[in-house]
Amino acid sequence: MDRQVSAPADSKTVPTKPTRLRSFFHSQKMAPYFFVAPFVISFLLFMLYPIISAFYMSFQEILPGEETFVGLKNYQALNNEHFYAAVSNTVIYTIWTLIILIPVPLVLAVLIHSRFMLAPVLFRSALFLPALTSIVVGGAIFRLIFGEMDTAPMNTILIKLGFSPQQWAMEGGTAMFLMVALASWRWMGINLLYFLSGLQNIPKELYESAEIDGAGSLSKFFRITLPLLKPVTIYVLTISIYGGFTMFTESYVFWTNHSPGDIGLTLIGYLYQQSFENFNMGVGSAIGIVLLVTILVINIVQLKLFGQFRREE
Amino acid sequence: MHNKLLIALQSGVGAPDIADIEISKFGNFLKGSNIPLAELDDLIQPEKDKFIQSRFDIYSKNGHNYGIDFHVGATVMYYNKEIMDQAGVKIDDIKTWQDYAEAGKKVLAATGKPMTTVEVIDNWTFWPMIAQQGSDMFDQNGQVTLDNETNIKTLKFLHEMVHGSKIAVPAPGGNHHKEEYYGFMNKGGAASVLMPMWYMGRFLEYMPDLKGKIVIRPMPSWEPGGKRSAGMGGTGTVVTKQSKQLELARQFLGYAKLSKEGNIRVWKTMGFDPIRWDVWDAPEIKEKNKYTDYFGDGIFDILLEIKDEIQPVNISEKTPQAIDLIRKDVLFKPLKENSMTPEDALKKAADELRK
Amino acid sequence: MYAKKKWLSLLLFALFAVLSFLALFPFFCLLLASFKPSTELLRYGLNLQLQPEILSLNNYYYLLADGRIYFVWFSNSVIITVLNTALALLFSSMVGYALAVYQFKWRNIIFATVLFVMMIPIEIILLPLYKLIVSLRLIDTYWGVILPFVVSPFAVFFFRQYAIGIPRDFIDAARIDGCTEFGIFFRIMRPLMAPAFGAMAILQALTSWNNLVWPLVVLHSEEKFTLPIGLSSLLTPYGNNYDILLSGAILSVIPIMILYLVFQRYFISGLTVGGIKG
Repeated sequence: MDRQVSAPADSKTVPTKPTRLRSFFHSQKMAPYFFVAPFVISFLLFMLYPIISAFYMSFQEILPGEETFVGLKNYQALNNEHFYAAVSNTVIYTIWTLIILIPVPLVLAVLIHSRFMLAPVLFRSALFLPALTSIVVGGAIFRLIFGEMDTAPMNTILIKLGFSPQQWAMEGGTAMFLMVALASWRWMGINLLYFLSGLQNIPKELYESAEIDGAGSLSKFFRITLPLLKPVTIYVLTISIYGGFTMFTESYVFWTNHSPGDIGLTLIGYLYQQSFENFNMGVGSAIGIVLLVTILVINIVQLKLFGQFRREE
Repeated sequence: MHNKLLIALQSGVGAPDIADIEISKFGNFLKGSNIPLAELDDLIQPEKDKFIQSRFDIYSKNGHNYGIDFHVGATVMYYNKEIMDQAGVKIDDIKTWQDYAEAGKKVLAATGKPMTTVEVIDNWTFWPMIAQQGSDMFDQNGQVTLDNETNIKTLKFLHEMVHGSKIAVPAPGGNHHKEEYYGFMNKGGAASVLMPMWYMGRFLEYMPDLKGKIVIRPMPSWEPGGKRSAGMGGTGTVVTKQSKQLELARQFLGYAKLSKEGNIRVWKTMGFDPIRWDVWDAPEIKEKNKYTDYFGDGIFDILLEIKDEIQPVNISEKTPQAIDLIRKDVLFKPLKENSMTPEDALKKAADELRK
Repeated sequence: MYAKKKWLSLLLFALFAVLSFLALFPFFCLLLASFKPSTELLRYGLNLQLQPEILSLNNYYYLLADGRIYFVWFSNSVIITVLNTALALLFSSMVGYALAVYQFKWRNIIFATVLFVMMIPIEIILLPLYKLIVSLRLIDTYWGVILPFVVSPFAVFFFRQYAIGIPRDFIDAARIDGCTEFGIFFRIMRPLMAPAFGAMAILQALTSWNNLVWPLVVLHSEEKFTLPIGLSSLLTPYGNNYDILLSGAILSVIPIMILYLVFQRYFISGLTVGGIKG
């Protein structure tokens, strides 16, 4: 490697005679390539071919041992009411999870982190526990709690409060509620964890000096906490958009992918149905490609708006 | 699990020698001209007349057979004798669906309980009722028949029971496999339920309080002398062409699922109605077990009585899609929401299938 | 001032007690149900009645007495989870760190590729990835399960976001002290990123432990199955074995819970310990 290149950064601090190896270890030019190598290698080795192949499959009709090119037919097949129902459910679900699963855990994390909090470790663990249960079992428990009989726990409570019992899994509105509730229950603790680890990164000194300037709790939250949590918040936003658009299991556990009037059909559910239940892998791939492009565009735009591609943050 | 099998067969590597494929997914494996499953015709041929033929037809394509089922899945009516007695209805007097509807009115009047529950997000009520009349979602050539006269009449009959005379209710939870339904039925929620024979296991496991109260009878017929059952559901065991011991696997499958011993074991350990009818009166079948404890001794007498009336279904490549439409729209909208007429619901789904 | 603090603390305590109750209630139902015969659950639905006469360890007994296969699945899951988590943390933190602190030509392209890989629905690459793993002779091996996803794009992204928030003063100071670029990462940044490692360790382990779709496709021999595959094989079209399902689910939570307890202490360490020098 060229010693001259690495010299400017290191020349002052490394007075010893630089060898080639040494300069490599000190080279700010070479180091990033070494660090990103695992990703580049695993991408080229394991992901590139499957991705290209999936893209290609979306233009094919696939039968056992036969693959025929059919042009845009698979994409044209998406012009039907089930696909639109899946799109609409998925978008509404994503919006709900964004509304609930970002601000709430952020505020909860700040509260747990505050010095007024009693037993923070206990509550942090309690809220995280649901994330540990498998979705199959979590779904079974939710089905029982939100059963449609008058004796099911949630309907019992509704009746006691003077409301009429609900057939939760049979109507669009309550069906969406079930999916969002299950997701909130399972993911609240995880997002809380992200925000808590982000809060550890904020030096206490900043708050102390703000207090000396006479800043109140709210102003500290908006002037210090929120801006410094921005990188983690952007992360949570990005994965929530992804998580919302690719939701499947939260619907599957209630209706095993066949919901009345498509009230629980999601894009991945529809993809799964086409690829594996009806064995139309071509159409399935087309749904996947449409989905991939959608999430990617939304996230790239969002990340650009938040300045994540600028040279220096 | 079956997506794993699809992937292994499609890529040509990693499939097992022998696999079970559920009937609603079976069509996927028969698509195209390179069927990845081994033909089983020569194993079945020698003793073909000892079996319920329709159970082979559902796993066949172009005259070749690719799968062997565990059971006939003969659909029967399970009556709750206690409720029927309360209403003063003699179960054996119910011969036709008309009798059944009349009996339902008496049950409702006397006990306040519905005569039956109807699946609104699954197909185990509607399908056997059309299949017993020789109708189906598709004809034998795979043409869509979902919106034919018979089917419209049948769905109207169900609609009248639910929304007219109110002698039937949509199954709690939507079908007969939901926690809600088991709890409801176990407490004596309805006087009867139409399900295949393999549903016996569910009674044993999930509705223990009905032990000794359930009587199994053939389905009511649509006219006197009409057919009284239909073979529903199923799991076909196959041998994949990838098998390195193809012949051995085929022979083993033949022994396990076609022999008398094998068929007797199917009853004894799984509680299914075996596809080989000449074992139905074998002494081993008559032995007492947990099923006879629950339902009494006459289970196989009923089967023998309807042996030649068990109507087949037609399986097409589009069956998974048709079942999906029925599960989400065709029954739910007229029977549960009452937001569409039976005729419109059937026509709309049939049009989509024809596309 | 003191009284106000006390009030606030109590208010917070009450709020979190309610939230924790909501979070734990379904979990508690599950725990209780796992000690009851499944017929109870179906007969009377979910309820919190404690009838000592029907509570028993029977469900656990069925699970464990059913041959030793449950333990085999369990230990397979442990092996895969440990390997996967350790490698994913190492590689992903390296990549995320480089994307955050270095200016280099390919940075934005690699970052965009990370996002791209992150957004791919796994369902559409199952078949081609399977073919690839077959041709690499990794089918039915643990490496076949682990390697394709060994650099987790989610973790890369998280480490990147975390490293961005760490002041550069640390890095500059280390360079002045003559530290190599790798030394800076392993000796300076790694401890500074401890909370991120803690969070990612738990989440990677959780993902790996519960992962079903890909391991199901790759693993063929029963003795190589992971716990989720094994448990899902207990769900059959001819009825679910609720007894074993619930007790199996409870037992499968324990290792991750231990892991959580081990790693959660990293949340209270971090930057504040050392503070910013000079």
